[in-house]
Amino acid sequence: MYCTNTVSFKSVNKTITMSIPPYTEDQNDALQEVVNIAMGQAGDSLARILGNFVALSVPRIRLVTVEDVIKTVTDMVDNNAKISAVRQAFSNSLRGEAIVVFAQAGADDLADLMGYDTDLDRSAEQELLLEVGNLLVGAVITGISETLKTDLNFSAPSLMAERTPLDQVLVPEQLSWSHALLMEVNFTVESRDFNCHLLMFMAEEAIDTLRSILDEFIDRIQE
Amino acid sequence: MAVPVTVVDDSKISRKMVIRALPPQWNIELTQAENGEEALAACRDGKAEVMFLDLTMPVMDGYQVLEQLQKEQFNTFVVVISADIQPKAQERVKKLGAIAFIKKPVKTLDIENVLHEYGIV
Repeated sequence: MYCTNTVSFKSVNKTITMSIPPYTEDQNDALQEVVNIAMGQAGDSLARILGNFVALSVPRIRLVTVEDVIKTVTDMVDNNAKISAVRQAFSNSLRGEAIVVFAQAGADDLADLMGYDTDLDRSAEQELLLEVGNLLVGAVITGISETLKTDLNFSAPSLMAERTPLDQVLVPEQLSWSHALLMEVNFTVESRDFNCHLLMFMAEEAIDTLRSILDEFIDRIQE
Repeated sequence: MAVPVTVVDDSKISRKMVIRALPPQWNIELTQAENGEEALAACRDGKAEVMFLDLTMPVMDGYQVLEQLQKEQFNTFVVVISADIQPKAQERVKKLGAIAFIKKPVKTLDIENVLHEYGIV
């Protein structure tokens, strides 16, 4: 989705305004529930490695256009300061990208929470961000895959940004989609000021594929 | 006699998943509630000898329902069914009087085990 060779979203001619039919009420309800379940599993994994209770926000699901993605994400993350971010692509039945955004304070606190020396050098800190990003994304992708009974794989994590303003991390000109489905949840360790966001983006093609996967999921429950 | 059972979840699909997972031979009178207030209303109407309760809901969440049930001294068997599966969430609802905590997506076996344990089925 960003300028990289690891992610290959179908490129979209941005001069053509694509219209994405909205999901039905049942599809939205099912998607919200599936994302709740998957994010809950990710929160549990995080709580286990941090040894702390992790408060989870109610997942937010939005259809965004490339023009408003930065505003939407900035509002969600509520942090115009510098962030660090880890990203992973997922593929197979659904293609997309997951990004874990750490508020800088969160990244600093992570080492302490995990019982490491707090004066980590840069490469140790990077490793920690990658580890936590991978843990969250792995849990969420596995949760979605198991709940929807659909095959999903995910790539190794890569560091997308370190102490960078959010608007320099998400650059519309570098995105290869015009519409994407954005799913977001916020993980907070209240006692420790730790906060990170998991964002998942699926572009046009995946939005349609997900529609039929959700219908199959709903049909299995109606039976 | 049919057991009054209330399934509480703001998500329709989630309520369906719970209802589908109830033991087929269990003779129940089913009520559905979309939030905590509706759940409490069902209790006051005698429609919830057993309640399957989600935690994250608008209007009134599952934790608030448990607190209110304790205050009003209902003898409802409350089984919490939640996507937030952290051990501390489990501890918290047990302290608030829930008999069991089942993780989403719910499985028939998980529900049957709890119902057997408490001699409900």
